[in-house]
Amino acid sequence: MSILVEVKDVTKKYKDAPRAAINHLSLTIDKGDVFGLLGPNGAGKTTLISMLCGLFSTTEGEIYINGLTHKTHSNQCKQAIGVVPQEIALYPKLTAWENLLFLGHMYGLKTAPLKEAIKYNLSFLGLESNTHQKISTYSGGMKRRVNLIAGLLHNPQLLILDEPTVGVDVQSKQAIIDYLKKLNTEKGMTILYTSHHLDEAEEFCNRIAIIDDGALVTQGKTKDLIIENNCQSIEEVYLKITGLKFRDK
Amino acid sequence: MKLLYSLYKEFKVITRDKAGLAITFIMPTVLILIITLIQDTTFRSVNEASVPLLIVDNDHDSLSTVLEKSLINSKFFVITKKQLSVDDAKKEVAKGHYFIGIVIPEHTSDLLRQRSSDRVNKLMSSFSGDTLSSEKIDTSMIRLKLFFDPITKKSFKTTISNSIERIISQIEMQSMVNSLNETMKENFPDAKPSKLEITPIVGLTEEYASYNNSTIIPNSVQHNVPAWTLFAMFFICIPLAGNIIKEREDGSAFRLLTMPGSYMIVILGKMLMYVFVSLIQFALMLCVGLFILPLLGLPQLNIGDNLPVLVLVAFSAGLAATGFGLLVGTIATSHDQASLFGAVFVIILAAIGGVWVPTFVMPEVMKQISVISPLNWGLEAFYGIFLRNFGFKEVFPEVAKLLTFFLVSLGGAYWYQKYRQQH
Repeated sequence: MSILVEVKDVTKKYKDAPRAAINHLSLTIDKGDVFGLLGPNGAGKTTLISMLCGLFSTTEGEIYINGLTHKTHSNQCKQAIGVVPQEIALYPKLTAWENLLFLGHMYGLKTAPLKEAIKYNLSFLGLESNTHQKISTYSGGMKRRVNLIAGLLHNPQLLILDEPTVGVDVQSKQAIIDYLKKLNTEKGMTILYTSHHLDEAEEFCNRIAIIDDGALVTQGKTKDLIIENNCQSIEEVYLKITGLKFRDK
Repeated sequence: MKLLYSLYKEFKVITRDKAGLAITFIMPTVLILIITLIQDTTFRSVNEASVPLLIVDNDHDSLSTVLEKSLINSKFFVITKKQLSVDDAKKEVAKGHYFIGIVIPEHTSDLLRQRSSDRVNKLMSSFSGDTLSSEKIDTSMIRLKLFFDPITKKSFKTTISNSIERIISQIEMQSMVNSLNETMKENFPDAKPSKLEITPIVGLTEEYASYNNSTIIPNSVQHNVPAWTLFAMFFICIPLAGNIIKEREDGSAFRLLTMPGSYMIVILGKMLMYVFVSLIQFALMLCVGLFILPLLGLPQLNIGDNLPVLVLVAFSAGLAATGFGLLVGTIATSHDQASLFGAVFVIILAAIGGVWVPTFVMPEVMKQISVISPLNWGLEAFYGIFLRNFGFKEVFPEVAKLLTFFLVSLGGAYWYQKYRQQH
């Protein structure tokens, strides 16, 4: 498999911060991977994602997307990435249709194929009858599904999902996971997934990296990690490696 | 194209925010109506005829009649006549019921006629070498009492005193001329002299030093409509800043920043839509001044003859306001912070800039400070267009200041956004 994302010895230190948020971290994500990025609160996941998206620059090291960096090829790197933030990053006073149309246009998509993509995705995620309802009238699960669609309208190579199933019911969660699996298997979309639902990560991801205190503590294929650490599940592996100490006190 | 979609999105978001729309358009309308009505009397007292004046006439003769007639003709006073003692008249003025009280003592007209006659007789006698010419005549003044409300400004008091003195001088002159006529008739019984014209020979032509001979007098409407419109336009910084912060908090800004192309397109769309809103505010407030205020008995707003320049100033003020909103929205970390900071800052700028109290009645120090406020720049430009028929050349300095303020705010917001991303 060819490499889609390469994080090469990256350090990120915020001004006036006592320590680096990301400390000499290196990892790779292959094309077609469903890659789980796990870690306690404050481990550096959001900082790493922000740097992958080109929002923050690295203090040291380099990040490559398809062999290109944000410094020299910002638009190409951004076009290759779709982001689904943890927050419902939608306009509550606009309908689902209006939200998706606006965001699709911001990705530079043409109106006709964009409308087709919106219709297809809304229909697949069971939202076609609510298309012209304002987002403010949606349930949490429905908002999460629209939030997901907004990140993949431009058919990105890498879909970054930050806790995509937080606060949703089982049905919506299953619909989201099933759809992501379909995108991965049928379209070969690479997925970078962060979550505190470790059972979900174990079921969904073929590769996992655990980071703590800004550094990579382990990475590998999901099953290999469980075997190598003599554990029954990823949750056990996670606790064995990161311990029980609170990180966000 | 992205800009158009961004504009369309902002349009939808703004028009569906009913509460926001109410604040944006109803708040300034109500402010203009209330403040203009409240300040109308104050402005009129400075500009127009409405000074309440009490006359206590104990003379009941020609002087009091002529004086009253002249005061009425001056169109400067609202006259009330009462029969009161001097002390009671003084009390009435002290209570604030009248700005001025005039007490005309008994026999004032008689005394005036008598002394005029004495002076004329002495003059005529001096021609004939009569002994009368060497006799002394009474040159003491006949005193009319004037009472002023204690809160009356010195300059205003002097103006009123001078006006009344001028009227009395004319009456004196008329009396002298009458006496002279009588004496001449006695000396030359067959003569048929023509009437001596005592109308003023030297007069003043007064006009406001404005362009195109415009003689618009600043009034409550001419001040309050542009002043509160500018206030509302700058108040737009709060919803704009709130909009930016909300996008940042709910992750929309994060999503937009991860998209290819410049985030500035989205910001530009937001800004242009808010400038558009501020222009609608401006047009609406002009309509209030033109059509609603006259229905309430207030003067109609005069917008001058330079509509394109007026729109240019409004556009520049709208840009300055949205630029400021953008800066507040970028720097503030929460909606509460933006609302508080934005509101307090705009209120301070409005107070300094002469929105609440016009700069022409401010102390000298405040007048000098007022020039730092963008609201003052806008207000001065509107005054220029409304009252002096200024054109582009005359308002250019104010427009340039507003545009510079916009560019500095925009640059500050851009720099701060970059700084935050880098750190």
